Amino acid sequence: MSEAEERTIELLIGPQHPASGHMRLVARVDGDVVVELRPDIGYVHRTVEKLAEVKTYLQVVPLVERPALADTANHNLGYVLAVERLLGVEAPPRAQYLRTVLAEISRIHSHLYGLGILGIMLGSSTAFMWCFNDREPLIDLAQELTGARLTYSYMIPGGVRRDLPPGFAERAEKVFRYLERRLKDYERLYFRNPVVRARTEGVGVLTREDAVRLGVVGPNLRASGVAYDVREADPYEAYPDLDFHVVTREEGDCAARMWVRVDEIRESMRLVREALSKIPDGPILHERFSKAIPPKWREWMEEKRRVKIPAAMVSLRIPPGEALSRVEAARGELTFYLVSDGSPNPYRMRMVTPSFRNVVLFRHLIRDCRVADIPAIYGSLDYFPPEADR
Amino acid sequence: MRELAERVASELGGESGESPGFAWVRVPPEKMLEAARMIREAGLEHVKAVTAIDRPEEGEIEVVYHASSYEPGRRGVLALRTSVPRDDPRLPSLVGVWPSAEYMEREQWEMLGVVFEGHPRLERLLLPEDFEGVHPLRKDYEVRTA
Amino acid sequence: MMVMLDLLLDLLLSPWVFVPLVYPGLVSAFALLLFIIWAERKMAGKVQMRYGPLYVLKPLGGIIQLVVDRIRYLFQEPIVPEEADAAAFVLAPIALFTACLLPVVVIPVGPEFYAFRSDISLLAFLALSSLAPAFTVAVGWASSNKFSLIGGLREGYLALAYEVPLVVSALAGAALYGTMDLVEMAEAQSSVWGVCLNPLAALVFLLLVYMETSRFPFEISEAESEIVMGPFTEYSGILYGLCMGASYVKMYALSLLFTVMFLGAWHPLPPPTGTVLDPILPGAVVFAKALAVMLCGTLLRAVYQRYRIDQALKISWHTLTPLSLASLALSALVGVA
Repeated sequence: MSEAEERTIELLIGPQHPASGHMRLVARVDGDVVVELRPDIGYVHRTVEKLAEVKTYLQVVPLVERPALADTANHNLGYVLAVERLLGVEAPPRAQYLRTVLAEISRIHSHLYGLGILGIMLGSSTAFMWCFNDREPLIDLAQELTGARLTYSYMIPGGVRRDLPPGFAERAEKVFRYLERRLKDYERLYFRNPVVRARTEGVGVLTREDAVRLGVVGPNLRASGVAYDVREADPYEAYPDLDFHVVTREEGDCAARMWVRVDEIRESMRLVREALSKIPDGPILHERFSKAIPPKWREWMEEKRRVKIPAAMVSLRIPPGEALSRVEAARGELTFYLVSDGSPNPYRMRMVTPSFRNVVLFRHLIRDCRVADIPAIYGSLDYFPPEADR
Repeated sequence: MRELAERVASELGGESGESPGFAWVRVPPEKMLEAARMIREAGLEHVKAVTAIDRPEEGEIEVVYHASSYEPGRRGVLALRTSVPRDDPRLPSLVGVWPSAEYMEREQWEMLGVVFEGHPRLERLLLPEDFEGVHPLRKDYEVRTA
Repeated sequence: MMVMLDLLLDLLLSPWVFVPLVYPGLVSAFALLLFIIWAERKMAGKVQMRYGPLYVLKPLGGIIQLVVDRIRYLFQEPIVPEEADAAAFVLAPIALFTACLLPVVVIPVGPEFYAFRSDISLLAFLALSSLAPAFTVAVGWASSNKFSLIGGLREGYLALAYEVPLVVSALAGAALYGTMDLVEMAEAQSSVWGVCLNPLAALVFLLLVYMETSRFPFEISEAESEIVMGPFTEYSGILYGLCMGASYVKMYALSLLFTVMFLGAWHPLPPPTGTVLDPILPGAVVFAKALAVMLCGTLLRAVYQRYRIDQALKISWHTLTPLSLASLALSALVGVA
């Protein structure tokens, strides 16, 4: 026992490490082989659930966006859906389509972020720079729609805050054509690069049974052959009207997870094109709130195609009840469980983020592999520490 | 999911109901393990959320497990809930039934103090090592807001 | 006064002072270091759709960025950790840099211009260049840091893996001309370059040069996303500058050897200009060719990712060693014919 203990070194791939993110990985290493790995999370815990209990329902909207900085629209959407279910309202159809458009744009640039992180962990600064550079056109699109680059706070209970600017569909089309051309370059330099294939194929294999048993979510789950996507299992917003296909792969290794994300980028582009072509006319805020706005402001709203948040929403009081909402964020299934008690603050907000459900994969996958596989598997899981720690 | 909830409730002497987004069944704490096994055998193999809700005026903490399945046809959510007394919150850990509950139970122990008996590792997860004081998500832990 | 100046100039321009000191020795190695790292960052920047170093001396594209960096290193405090072996910590990088630079003394600059000539100068080069990995392992050990230890050990494994095929393919090149004297090898390529006679040896040698000097995809001992900076994790200040420069200087020495052996050295000879620089002009040709080889190597950073160490070792032992033995056989055939 003591001889085996001496043989292994404990490597602290700690918070101060170029490739650890905001977390610590405590690895037991025997030569070049990793014997076990324990993730030590919690370095970016920002007490989102506790803060939600002291803020009003509307103030929680920017709060829940902040954990997952690369994919804020879907978190926003999950929370707003939970509030709407508590209230028993549904956003008007035009607002639903706008929410879908923003959610899919957010998903694309979150996947590009994940692919860039995988690239830099494998050692390719080119992939990293290209991925982050190619997020910019998408962020510009989002800025045109919402006014902010990353933390949009676009969706409010009952609708959205702004309407579609004129010419948006054409600009979106230009961006998507650019992205499709770039994806071809990526395939030659990054995805089908023999070095990347040697580093990711057969590495960190997650079997289908383990994925289901451990409750893994997102592209990590779909890369192991489980065709589960909340947009298909429990459709919300405009997804029932759109022609949506679930992307899966069978191998369950790092390469499969990477390819699932690439295919989902293409799928999201298709969804946005379809949504923009089918978007119906109508109001963007539910009448329960819009009729609480004085008429003078309502005319301004019509003219500017923006929403003036009424006092009824700012000091929203929801009668006692509870609701569950789930959305498919870019990294997986995001669950909101909201309990209200009649006061202007939520009584309990439970937010289970996809990265938190994927933490168990660190311990499970990074075993009997080599030290160099730690960043490869970490990058392929698209784990986002602030999202997991909330 | 509503039928499953009603079946479990009738067999174990609890109550069932429905809320927006899920159906639920409430059982006493000692029946939790059995109820979880029944739900697991019905095919719901993973847990989406483990929530502990502090209710100081009733003197109890409510623990809710939201379970579901990845298989088509069973993708609704069923919540298994119970209430434990606030000054001695003990509950059998359901990690043996649902391995996906491990990290979430650990987080709820850390934040609210609910002891899950039989959990493989009830240690600090998110809070810093030098954090002292009562479990932070309880209602008597005040957060100063500006 | 004039006589003394003349004497000094004569001394400076005599081969056995000029070669180690100015070209291809110390001064040109440093000048190259300043240029090649800037070129690498600039080229990588161009590929990655960004500018690269641009801040310093903007009209010239930030070309003196490295000069500024070196000055900064000189002024930085070199921190020696408490638990590190202080003597080894300070001396090992210096020894590493020296060992990487030392082999250039055998490189001939022109048909008549060389520091010394011997019939085993190729062997001398290979022997001197194999000193360097030992000092890298010493650097890794001296830091008393687990990441440095792992990096140093990786370099040790890799050194064994690339030295064997390197020596074999270098000997294949020597067998091509029937001599191990670098000057004779250069002269023998007056009509046709070595790379045309035995492309296999040239290719294998080039790949091993990239492997030895930590060019992507073989940048394994300093793999940043796994072991912070490998053996050089704890270094700061001028010692860090020496560590980082060592691998580029090694690439310089090996590229010069590659040029002399396979790329025709100073052929085609530039026409004599009748000045005092005449004996050194062939050296400019050698330098240009070596620079091309080095720029190729640094461009690989923008294209490839990093191999795992077991994959790199497998490539070396399973692919490159048999290929180098095959190139030896090829040389024997070509030499006979």
